[in-house]
Amino acid sequence: MPKIELKHVTKRFGKFVAVDDLNMVIEDRSFVTLLGPSGCGKTTTLRMIAGLETPTEGEITINDRIVFSSEKGIDISADKRDVGFLFQNYALWPHMTVYKNIAFGLENLKWSKEDIKQRVEELLAMLKISEFSARYPSELSGGQQQRVAIARTLATGPKALFMDEPLSNLDAKLRMEMRTELKRLHRETDSTFVYVTHDQLEAMTLSSRVCLMKNGYMQQYAPPLEVYRKPANTFTADFVGSPNINLIKGEVTKLNPITLALPGSINLVFKPLETIGLSVGQKIILGLRPEHVAITEGPSMAEATVLSSLPSGMETIVQLRMGESYLHSVVFGDLDFDLEKQVGLSFASGKSNLFDEQSTVNLGQGLLSRA
Amino acid sequence: MSAKSQFNTFRSFIKKPHNIILIVLFVVLGYLTLVPLLTIMVDTLTVHSSEARFVKQDIGTFTLYHWKKMFASGVTSQKTFYEPFVNTMVVASLSCFMAILIGGFFAWAVTRTNIKAKGFLSTVFVFPYIMPAWTLAMAWLNFFRNSRIGGAPGLFTVLTGIETANWFAYGLFPIVIVQGLHYAPFAYILIGGILRNMDANLEEAAMLLHASRWQITRKITLPIVRPALLSTFLLVFSSTMSAFAVPAFLGSPVRYQVLTTQMFRTLNGMNPGYGYIMALIMIIIGVGILMLNQWITGRRKSYTTITGKSSNISLFNLRKARTPLTVLLIVFLLMVAILPLFSFALESFIMAPGNYSFSNFTTEFWIGEGRADIANSEPGILRNPSIWLGLTNSLKLSVIVSLIAGTVGILAGYSIAKRRGSKLSTWVNNLTFFPYLMPSMAFGAIFLSIFAVRRGFIPALYGSFWLLVIVGAVKYLPFASRSGINAMLQLSGEIEEAGTIMGIGWFKRMTRIIIPIQKTTFISGYLLPFISCMRELSLFILLVSPSTRILTTLLFQYNEKGWNQYANAINLMIVLIVVGFNLLVNKLTGASIDKGIGNT
Repeated sequence: MPKIELKHVTKRFGKFVAVDDLNMVIEDRSFVTLLGPSGCGKTTTLRMIAGLETPTEGEITINDRIVFSSEKGIDISADKRDVGFLFQNYALWPHMTVYKNIAFGLENLKWSKEDIKQRVEELLAMLKISEFSARYPSELSGGQQQRVAIARTLATGPKALFMDEPLSNLDAKLRMEMRTELKRLHRETDSTFVYVTHDQLEAMTLSSRVCLMKNGYMQQYAPPLEVYRKPANTFTADFVGSPNINLIKGEVTKLNPITLALPGSINLVFKPLETIGLSVGQKIILGLRPEHVAITEGPSMAEATVLSSLPSGMETIVQLRMGESYLHSVVFGDLDFDLEKQVGLSFASGKSNLFDEQSTVNLGQGLLSRA
Repeated sequence: MSAKSQFNTFRSFIKKPHNIILIVLFVVLGYLTLVPLLTIMVDTLTVHSSEARFVKQDIGTFTLYHWKKMFASGVTSQKTFYEPFVNTMVVASLSCFMAILIGGFFAWAVTRTNIKAKGFLSTVFVFPYIMPAWTLAMAWLNFFRNSRIGGAPGLFTVLTGIETANWFAYGLFPIVIVQGLHYAPFAYILIGGILRNMDANLEEAAMLLHASRWQITRKITLPIVRPALLSTFLLVFSSTMSAFAVPAFLGSPVRYQVLTTQMFRTLNGMNPGYGYIMALIMIIIGVGILMLNQWITGRRKSYTTITGKSSNISLFNLRKARTPLTVLLIVFLLMVAILPLFSFALESFIMAPGNYSFSNFTTEFWIGEGRADIANSEPGILRNPSIWLGLTNSLKLSVIVSLIAGTVGILAGYSIAKRRGSKLSTWVNNLTFFPYLMPSMAFGAIFLSIFAVRRGFIPALYGSFWLLVIVGAVKYLPFASRSGINAMLQLSGEIEEAGTIMGIGWFKRMTRIIIPIQKTTFISGYLLPFISCMRELSLFILLVSPSTRILTTLLFQYNEKGWNQYANAINLMIVLIVVGFNLLVNKLTGASIDKGIGNT
């Protein structure tokens, strides 16, 4: 079944390196997201797997068949890789009706008229667009066009489906709806999905694995919650999660127990959950998820001042100043806080991550307590 | 609505500069385009002074004579109207196919294949369009004229000893070739623009759904490009239909008449009534073509959705054909764009036409004082007062016309875009575009008709330099107003509103905010009228008088007299001015004629 493998794949446009030495295995029937800021090489990667772009170096296999290899001189064209592709702007053909758009691929496979009709109607029903079958794309709304594009891609039953930011042109409500729809489709079609997005929320909610990229390099390739809980470096820590993770610069002042000094003479003890190599004087960055920053009435680890409070009903996002650094906290429930109020903070409710300031890589996880 | 609030509505309407501009344009353009249309209709029904003798009615009285003679008088109608009409249609359609075939192929090669030297190809390919239309016609004659009709044989005959056949040297065949080559760049720019803007994803999507390259071309690319192709066809058709110079140069020697040459003959001769009818018919066809074009581009399956990112377009690999095809196209371009210039230079330096031996070379036609035995002692063109007069007139005319057309175009574009959707704006938009549809010579004819006599406070302008200015400015306004509208539509209205809120006056908003932002587009709006005017013949030929003659009409006269060397020298001069100016402006500002064409 379609396992997709990338080995040392590199793509250069002139001097610009779009993708640099990418290694990756996409398991059969998984839902993998390529996530990253714009220009990070995620779309290029997807297009290379689909065969729309030729890598400069490396090897790509789909289902153990080599579809591209720079060394062996193999480059199988896109139409023979048995993959489907959903474009960001849908790329529906403006001169064909919805029906014709969906039937096109089947016609190319020389299906009989009746079979095509049956298959198209099945897809129209599956995507709930039966009543639009005679319309032209310009007469449909964005969401409807999106559904037509999905139907067209699914028509020939590709074993792997590639999607390039398919939801970015939809409004928030439709996007929510389509996310549910895509997850349902993934289950129903039993195929491998590779999905490009810059929206971390989409990646988190949809995928079974996230590949985070930056400047052509892969940063982390792991299930979404693992990326969230244990980010590989400060970039992935910062990219995933909303509101953003709190990254506080500090220094290791003692090793036994490990004590961290944060700006504004705040001292915390870090109890590692795994072996961790630190030295006194090492510059570090402490990563604290906002929901692990608790505002307490009881014993606190540090004092802070409330700078702003943004209640949304279910939760309240509070901005705080602790010593000389700024923090976000998410407090659940319909609470509000007075500005300039002094509060006590506790970080005991979750694991925190420690990063090296210079290399930005994750040094290890641990629990915080008062020094 | 109370009188007071009506008055207030009116006051706030009139306070806005764009409203005033629209009203002024509406009145002036209405007068300069619609009124002449009426007078030309009247002219087809009245007896003109030169016709009184054979119509046997008083001058100025009503008559159906012209219409009867044109359409229902057996051999006369056949010769004066039907034959030239059919010729026109044949020439226009065939030239159109030529232009689209060549231009389309170039567009495909440059945008969709991995051919080499793309920069060179696309720059030089536009040359034949920038050069005056008759350039290639003259070059054709220089090479292929035969001694049976053209007097001295051309370069080809001299070099090979083969006498060219009449059908090859004159008439339909060379006219179609030359016009096709002249308008090919136009097709190239339009089709290339579509291919460039077409979302490559549309083709990629088809490829992923197992369509072959041929199927993609047939089922996806062509249908999507088709409206643009059709639109190109119609625009080129209306241009070739109204072309005058090429048929005049290549058709006249064998009496191959088209509507424009026939119109010139009749308007300049004894039967202006015939000419006005022909002008009217050409205008009707022109307007019909444009309406058809608008209908095609505005249909249900409208293709407005075809813009997208096509940066990662996959190019067609020509493989082994890559180098040979590149060389072939370059050679072809050198032949149609560069070689003609050499032939003009060469022809202008030889004493007896047809003799290319070294001893026959002379600088007489450039710097000679004039000899009694050649061309009525006409001096060489560099010391010839009438040519200097023509040159200064041409430059003066082109500069003034481009200043007027360009500036009015900016204002028109600004006001039309500002009030987009309103009735007044739609009307003015159509009025500014209307002159584009009118065949140049027909347009000249209607101005001849309306300004031949004093009308109201406007004096009879015939023979005056300002008549040329008016007709040029109105005729080329569409170029400028198109780029003006495009520039304004790209600009969000908020940019100007930000200035308004800060209390900046209208004049300052225009000169300090809007014009600087869209500088390049606006400059194309000035450049296009200048170049078009510099190389225009058919628009002015009916309107010039000896004191207002310009280079192009001089060229035509010299050619008619058979003073080949002078004509070649003048042509070289015009081509160098036009191409040089285009390159200069392009270098200085980044504006270029091909950008402008793409906009119309």
